[in-house]
Amino acid sequence: MIGIQYVVTTIFFFLAAGLLAMLMRAELARPGMQFVGNQVFNELFSVHAALMIFLFIIPAFAGLGNFVIPLMIGAPDMAFPRLNALSFWLLPMAGLMMLSSFFVPGFGCGWTGYAPLCSTHQELGAVFFNMGVQWAGASSIMTALNFLVTIITMRAPGMTFWRMPLLVWANFTTSLLVVIATPFIAGSQFMTMFDHVMHTNFFNYEAHGYVLGYQHIFWFYSHPAVYIMMLPGFGIASEVISTFARKPIFGYRLMALSLMAILVLGFSVWAHHMFVSGMAPWLRVPMMVTSVVIAVPTGIKVFSWLATLWEGKLSFRTPMLFALGFVSMFVIGGLSGIYLAAVPIDIDVSDTYFVVAHIHYVLFGGSLFTIFAGIYYWFPKMTGRMYNEQLGKLHFWLTFIGFNATFFPMHYLGIQGMPRRVSDYAPRFADLNFFISIASFFLGASTLVFLYNMIVSWARGEPAPANPWRAMTIEWQVSSPPPVFNFDEVPQVVGGPYEYGVPGARHAVFGDRVAEEEEVRSR
Amino acid sequence: MSVEAGHAAHPPVAHQSSRVDARTLGMFLFIASEVMLFGSFFTAYFFVRVVNHQPWPPSPFHLPVFVAFVNTCILVTSSFTMHWALQSIKRGNRAGMQAGLTLTFLMGVTFLLTQLLEYARIGFTPHDQAFGTIFFCLTGLHGAHVFVGLTILAAMTTRAFRGHFSPEAHNGVEIGGIYWHFVDVMWIVVFTTVYIL
Repeated sequence: MIGIQYVVTTIFFFLAAGLLAMLMRAELARPGMQFVGNQVFNELFSVHAALMIFLFIIPAFAGLGNFVIPLMIGAPDMAFPRLNALSFWLLPMAGLMMLSSFFVPGFGCGWTGYAPLCSTHQELGAVFFNMGVQWAGASSIMTALNFLVTIITMRAPGMTFWRMPLLVWANFTTSLLVVIATPFIAGSQFMTMFDHVMHTNFFNYEAHGYVLGYQHIFWFYSHPAVYIMMLPGFGIASEVISTFARKPIFGYRLMALSLMAILVLGFSVWAHHMFVSGMAPWLRVPMMVTSVVIAVPTGIKVFSWLATLWEGKLSFRTPMLFALGFVSMFVIGGLSGIYLAAVPIDIDVSDTYFVVAHIHYVLFGGSLFTIFAGIYYWFPKMTGRMYNEQLGKLHFWLTFIGFNATFFPMHYLGIQGMPRRVSDYAPRFADLNFFISIASFFLGASTLVFLYNMIVSWARGEPAPANPWRAMTIEWQVSSPPPVFNFDEVPQVVGGPYEYGVPGARHAVFGDRVAEEEEVRSR
Repeated sequence: MSVEAGHAAHPPVAHQSSRVDARTLGMFLFIASEVMLFGSFFTAYFFVRVVNHQPWPPSPFHLPVFVAFVNTCILVTSSFTMHWALQSIKRGNRAGMQAGLTLTFLMGVTFLLTQLLEYARIGFTPHDQAFGTIFFCLTGLHGAHVFVGLTILAAMTTRAFRGHFSPEAHNGVEIGGIYWHFVDVMWIVVFTTVYIL
C-alpha cells in the first residue's frame, strides 16, 4: 500500500514540477522579458529539476518497486515495514521544503547547487534546497536498504538469483548504487550548508578551501544517480517487452550482468561533467574513455530488447507502446550522450540547449516513459481495475509527439549556441523557441489525459482479472488487488520468469499445485 | 482488502532465503552508507591537505595529540567491554552483560565529554581556514555518531536491566554492538588521518 502512496505523491510533485517547466517555456516563448524576472526564472529551473529528480523519478521507481518487488519474489511485505513508512513520509517533507523555497529569497543556482555560488553567495532558499535533498536522500537510502534486505533474505522457496525477474535485478543494482553513492550528496549538501550558515571554509578559496571539491563530491553521487534514475526503468522495460512480445527475454543472464557492469563503471565517470570546470587536464581522457565504455553494457541491453522483439507476437497495449517509445527515445539520448562524453564536442556544446535536449531524452524519453509503462502495466494489479485502453493509447501518442516536438529542436538550438539557464536569448533563436513553447504546452496538456484516465478508471473502471496480460511473474498469479499480505499461501518457484512459448513451462506454483507438480515429475 | 485487516493481523512469517539475519544485514548496509558519508568528508580533507598542499596544522595552531590518544584508548577499550557484554549474554551470564554495557556506555560518555573539552580549549574555530573547518567537521561528524551510538547503548543497557535478552535472543545486543564497533573503528581512521599523519 505504501507503494501506491509513493506513486500518487510523486505524481503530485511531477505535476508541480511540470507546471514550473511550463512557466519557463512561457517566458522563453519570445525573446526579451515577459512574465518573470531573472531571479524567478533561475528559481523556476532550479526547483523544476530538483523536484523532477529527487521527488519524482527516484521515488516513483521506489514506489513501483515497493509494490511489485515483494510480490515478484513471493514475500508478504518489505523486510522493514516501519522503516518503509518512515522513508515514505520523509518525501512530502522534502518536496514541501523545495517548493517553499519560492517564499523566501529563493534558490536560483541550479539543481547542481555549485559552490561557491550556492554556498556563500546565495539566499536562504539554497538552504531549503540543501535540507530538501537531505530528506529525500535519507528516504532513498532507507528504501534501498529495505529493498536489498528484502531481496536477499525474503525470496520464496526456489527463487534463486538467476530466476529473479529483471525488475528485481534492476532494483537490486539500483539499491546498491543508492547505498554507496547517496551519502556523497548528503556530504556535499552538508558542506555547502555549513559554508552558508556557519561560515566554514570547505569551498572558500581565500581560506585555502578547495573550490572544485564540491563538483567532484557532488558528481561522484550525481553521475551514479543518473543510473539510479534509469536502471529500474530498464527493469520495467524488460518485464513489459517480454510479456507483450510473448517471448523469453533475450540473453537474460547478460541483461542482469550488464546491470552490474553499469553499477561498477558508473562510479568511474563523474568528471565528464567537469570538462570545462578547470579541473586537472589529465583527468579528461580517462573519464572520456570510461564514459564511452558504459555504452557497451547499455548497448547490450538495447540489442537484447530488440532481439526479444524479433519475431515476437507483439501486442501494442499502452504499456508496450511506452516501453517501445522508451527504447527508441533512449537510443537518441544515449547517442547524444556519447557525443557529450567526447571532450572536444563537450567543450563546444557545454551549457547549451544540446545538454538540455540530451538530459530530457534520457530522463523524459527514458525514465518517464518507463514510469508510465510501469504505471499502466501494474495499474490493474494495484487498483483491481482496468484503465481505459483508448485513452491510454491517446496519452501515449500525444506525449510521444509533444515530447519530440519540444525537445528535438533543442539539439539544433544548442549546436547553434543558445545557452541554457537564461531567461532571454538572441532574436535569431526566436522562431524555434516559439515552436518549442507551443509544443511544450501541448505536451503538458497530454498529461491531463493521463490524469483523467487514472482517476476515472480507479473509481469506475472494469474490475481487473488476476492476470490481464497473461504474464508469468508471480505478482500476476494472485488476485487483483493482491491479498493484504500478498499471498494466502507461499508460492514455490519452479522455473525462469520469462518462459513464454515454452510448452508446460511455469515460473511459480501454489499450495496443492506443488504436490501435483511433484507427482507429475516423479512419474 | 481493508486497511483494518492490515492493522489487526501480523504478516505471515516470510520464507528465509538467506542464512544472514535480516536485521544484521540491514545494519551492515547502513554502516556501508555511513562509511561513504565519512568518505565524502575525507574527500574534502584530501582536497584541502593533499591537493592544496596545506600545512597540517598550519601555524600557529596545535593539535592536542596526547589527549586525543588517551581518548582513543578509552574508546578502543569500550569496544572490548561491548564484546564482553555480548559474549556474556551468549553464555547466559546476565550480570556480565549488564556490567559490560554499563562500562561501555560510561566510557562512551567520557570520550564525548573529553572531545567537547578539547573543542573548548583547542584555540581555533571552524572559521579558521579550511583546516579548522575540516578538523571540526570530521571530528564533529564522528562525535555525532558517538552520540547516536550512546543513544542505542542507553536503550540496550536499560533493556538489559529490565531482564530482556537471553542466550537464544540477543539480537539487540549484537546489532547495537556492531554499530558501536563501527563508531570505534571510524574513530581510529579519523584519529590517524587528522591527528597523527
